[in-house]
Order: sequence, then C-alpha cells, then structure tokens
Amino acid sequence: MNGQAITPSPEMLPAIPGHSSAHPPRPAIPTVGLVNGFFEWFGGLGTFSWRVLRAAVTPPYEWRELIRQLDEVGSQSLPLVALAGAAVGAVLSMEVRSSMARFGATSILPSAVVYSVIQEMGPTITGLVVSGRVGAGIGAELASMKVTEQIDAIEVSAINPYRFLASTRILACILMLPLLTVAADASGVLMGWVAQTLVQPISFHQFIVTGFAGSTLKDFLPPTFKTAVFGLIIGLVACFQGMRTRGGAEGVGRAATNSVVLASLFVILADVVLVKLILVVFQ
Amino acid sequence: MSRLARLGAFIFATLAILATGVFIIGSKEYLFRSTYQLKAQFENVAGLSEGADVQVGGVHSGTVKSIDLPHKPGEKVTVLMDLDKSTHEIIKQDSVASIETEGMLGNQYVAISFGSAGQGEVKDGQIIGSQPPLLMADMLKKANDILDSSQQAVQNVTVATAHIASVSTKIDNGDGTVGALVNDKQLYNNLEQTTTTLHATMLQAQSGVTDFQENMEALKHNFLLSGFFKRRGYENEADLAANRIDQLPTATPSKVFTYTAKQLFDTREAAKLKNQASLKAAGAFLADNPFGLAVIEVSSGMEGDTKQELVLTEARAMVIREYLVDNFGFDDSQLRTLGMGKQPVVNSGADWGTIKILVFPAGTEIPPPAKPPVSPSDGIASDLPAHASADSTSKP
Repeated sequence: MNGQAITPSPEMLPAIPGHSSAHPPRPAIPTVGLVNGFFEWFGGLGTFSWRVLRAAVTPPYEWRELIRQLDEVGSQSLPLVALAGAAVGAVLSMEVRSSMARFGATSILPSAVVYSVIQEMGPTITGLVVSGRVGAGIGAELASMKVTEQIDAIEVSAINPYRFLASTRILACILMLPLLTVAADASGVLMGWVAQTLVQPISFHQFIVTGFAGSTLKDFLPPTFKTAVFGLIIGLVACFQGMRTRGGAEGVGRAATNSVVLASLFVILADVVLVKLILVVFQ
Repeated sequence: MSRLARLGAFIFATLAILATGVFIIGSKEYLFRSTYQLKAQFENVAGLSEGADVQVGGVHSGTVKSIDLPHKPGEKVTVLMDLDKSTHEIIKQDSVASIETEGMLGNQYVAISFGSAGQGEVKDGQIIGSQPPLLMADMLKKANDILDSSQQAVQNVTVATAHIASVSTKIDNGDGTVGALVNDKQLYNNLEQTTTTLHATMLQAQSGVTDFQENMEALKHNFLLSGFFKRRGYENEADLAANRIDQLPTATPSKVFTYTAKQLFDTREAAKLKNQASLKAAGAFLADNPFGLAVIEVSSGMEGDTKQELVLTEARAMVIREYLVDNFGFDDSQLRTLGMGKQPVVNSGADWGTIKILVFPAGTEIPPPAKPPVSPSDGIASDLPAHASADSTSKP
C-alpha cells in the first residue's frame, strides 16, 4: 500500500473510452498535481456513476449476467461473511462478559451482544469483508479486461460495457449486502450464545428473549439495510477502479489494491454518516 | 448445485433469517396482534424509552409506543402504550400505571395494576392514572436525610449516655439525694424505723375510730341529742338499706293496704310515726294470713330535694317495717322495704307521700336486694343481709 492508493495520481484517471486521448499532459508540480488528481478522481467517479445509472435504467437488461454476479457476490461470500460474523459474536461475548462482570451486570450480556452485533458489528464486518473479497475480485477482473482490451471488444460488438459489466456488478452488491449482513448477524448472535453458554449455561430461547428485550424494528432494520449503501460504494469504486486501469499486469494489481483500500475506507466513512442519519431519522 | 439454485438457497435462507428477526422483534412490539392504546401522564418518566415493556401483573403485555414531551410548562409527559387485547378485561378505570426498574441497573418498564371488579372498562386511547416513578436521586436524598437524622440521634444518645454516666458516678459516690439513699445505711434505717412507727400509729388510729363510734352511739341516746333522732324517726342511716329491695316483684299482689303519709307521720320531713294504730289492719293481716312476700312501698310528693326525699321514703318504709315487726308476729325476713323517692301525686291529700303495703301470695320470688349505696358505711351494712336473703331464696 502506498500514498497513491489513497490520493489517486493523475494516471489513475478514468479510462473512459473515446476520451482517454483527450487529456493533455499534466504539469509536473507535485502538490498541485495531487490536489488536482484528487478532484479529478471524484469528477471521474461522478461521470462514471452517471453513465452506469443511465445504462442501468434503460433496457435491455442483462438478467443472466446479473444472476451470475448475484451468485458471485452473495452466495459465494456467505461462508466468509458467516465466519467473520461468528468470530465477532464470540469475541464480543467474551469481551463484554469480562467488562460486565466488574459491575456484576452479566445479566445484560445477551442484550449487549445482540445489540452490538445487529447495530454495528454485523453491518461493518460484512461491508469490510465483502469489500475485500468482492472489491478485489471486481477490480482485478475489470482491470484485466481493460488492459487486454476486452472491454473495447465488448463495446465494438454493440454491447454497452457500463450496462453489461458495471451496472450488474454494482446492483448485485447493493442487493446482496443486506442479506449477507443478516447472515453475519445470525451467526454472530449464535456464536455469542455459544460463547456465553460455555461459561454460564443459558438456553438459546432465554438468550434471544433477553437479548431482544426492549428492542424495536428501528433497532434492527435500519442498520441492516444501510449496508445497501456499502454495497453501492463497493461496487461503484471497484468497477470504477477496474475500468480506468492503464498499463499491463502492474496496472491490474494496482487496480485491485486500490479497489479494496478505497472501498473499505469509504465503507467506514459512510458508516459514520449513516449511523448519525439513522439516529436522527429513526429516534 | 447449479449457480441459480445456489443463489436461490442463499437468498431464501437469509430472507428467512430476516423474517425471523422481524417476527421476534415484531412480536414484542405487538405488530402482528390486535392491540389497543392507553395513555398515562407522568411528571418525569425517569429515562423510559420508546419500545420499553409494559407489564400487567408482571406479565409482558405491551410496549411503549411513544413518549411525548408536553407543549406547555406545567403539563405532564404523555406515555402512549400499545397493549394486547387480552389485558382489556383486567385493566379498568382505576388501574394505575407506574414506571419501574428491573433491578438496580435494569431497563425501565411501565407496570399497570389490575383494576377493581366493579369499575368500568377502559376505552381505546384513554388516559389512566399514574404514580410517579421512584427516582434513584430521590432515594439517595432520602437515604441522606435518614443518615443525617440518625447521626443526630446517635449524637443525642452519646450525650444522654454521658449524662447517665455522670449521674451514676454521682450516685456511686454518694452525692445528691439518690446517692445518699443508695449509699447511706443510716437513711435506710431511719426509713424502716419510720415505717414501724407509722404502723403503730395506724393501729392506734383504728382503735380511736372504734372508740369514736361507741361515743357516737352513746351520744345518740344522750338526752340532749335524742330529741333530734326521735323527731327524725330513726337512729342509724346504715339500717335503711337492711331490708331494701330494688324493685317490686312481677307477681300480682294478693292484698294492698294504702295510706297517705299525712295519716301516719308526724311532719312532712320526718319519719316519725304518729297514728301507728292505722297500721293495725295491715299488721293483723300479715300475722294471720300466710304470704310469700310483703313490700312496704313508700313514695313522697313532688316537693323537696330528690336525694333527701329518697332517703326520707326509705326511712319511712324502715320505720313502718320496724313497727310491724315489733308488734305483730310473722316471719320478718319476708317483709321488705322499697323507697321510691319523689313520685307524682295521684290523689289530693297525698302530697306528703303515699305508703302502700303490698302482700304477695306464697311462692313469690324475693327480688334481689338494692345495690350498695354510694356511702361506704351503708355498703357494709347492706352487704350482709343481701347475702342472707340470697341464701334464703336459693333454699326454698
């Protein structure tokens, strides 16, 4: 990971077909170039988003490719996400137990575990794990297609690459992230119970009843469905980074790295905003 | 497994989990059951949050739907609750909502008490009564007050103990009156001596009283004073109650002799007989005919002091009885007296009073003797014959 990853350099600019040759050479002033590049990156992302959106809402729709991507993003990620969620649940259960025991308040442990998992840990872990697995996958795939000029070939064969490649992947991410989050929550709560009952036996039913005591759908649904935004970020950033790649194998590697790093970063940053937004809107 | 099937299984499984979660939480919120709403108003909801439990009789029966701050100062915070329909039969107009805490650190919840059987049912959206929550801060304040006052009490006790210690030290040292009492043997001896002397004095006083009684008896027969007693008609007031009864027997008298006081007595106020001969008919009847009980019933007119007149009638009855017993032969235990005191005058010429001698046939039960009068000397006098008469009635 280097500085380029976070503040994209001028050569990471969007590789928009038909426009790539239009850019004149940049002046070699590093600071100005960095700032300029930063804004150009966002500008490119905006243009890219607009093209993808326009391609996505107009027919024909690429159902077959969408289903392939749903499987790729969703069901293929399930074991990873479930394992991560389970680990988080078990860790939370152990951590909360040791801190609650100091106050003699171990009876609220189920609530603490369930709330932590559902409100924050499940969605965040899912977002990070998926941005690692799917972000890298999309970034590398599209980048290699780009450098081997397959994208150009698709375009030549009268297929819109934004519709066929980008929109299907982004939509798959948006749709699958909440479902993966549910899976992560479920395995987290389950492992939280296992870790709890190993130390101090408690029935699963009792764990669930006390864990959900006083909770409302406001505590459950908004945190779960906010991950659709994470999906949008992962898909968009990964596709954008992949499709603007230049150079050979080195470019592919850089694109994959940048996809993961930027997607993870933006997921966490977006989470800050989303949590605040949920608190304002739903409380 | 084909790609599509794998995707379908994944989506189905995660949606099933999502639905389960929604139902777990939704059942707590009573989203899928028929509910009704109640409101309660509190000055302070002590941190109660929306979605908190509502318990009826300790059973989770609803949730807090919303908590609204008042619009104006002086109004109360309104808590809107969704309650399960099944509680509608338990919660009545007089049910009271209160905010409780699960343990010391637990969640807040609303507890609603059962209503009384006679009260009407609550309506949807109705405001029910509420009880202010027990705030930790208030409790601590009260505990603080209690500690303060108990500290004060302990200080008082300490001071009191010091006083007691000082007093007992003084007593021990023989200071002061109690000290002297406790420590001075001389004082105790004096006290004992005094008691002994007092006892002897009491004995002497007793014999003095006996002497005095004898003197009084002698005085009554002394020529200077005998006139008074003669005019009064009797000597000893203690004798008045000797043969007195409380009320007439319920039986019907077989014979009644009626006299006016004017016929028999010397003056209006005295109990001295004048025309004893008038009583001869009655005396002869008592002597010749067997009877169960005879009662000399005397009443006076409406003039004079009630108490004095009562004594007068009793005295007259006694004097008549004495005369009859002395001059005619019959069983005198069957002749009783009854002083009626002031009674309304029935016929003219009887304004001094009326005397009736009522003769009851054999077998008439003798009524209980009069209650002991107020004066102690009378009481002692009337006690003995009372027992005697009671014995005679129980052994027919």
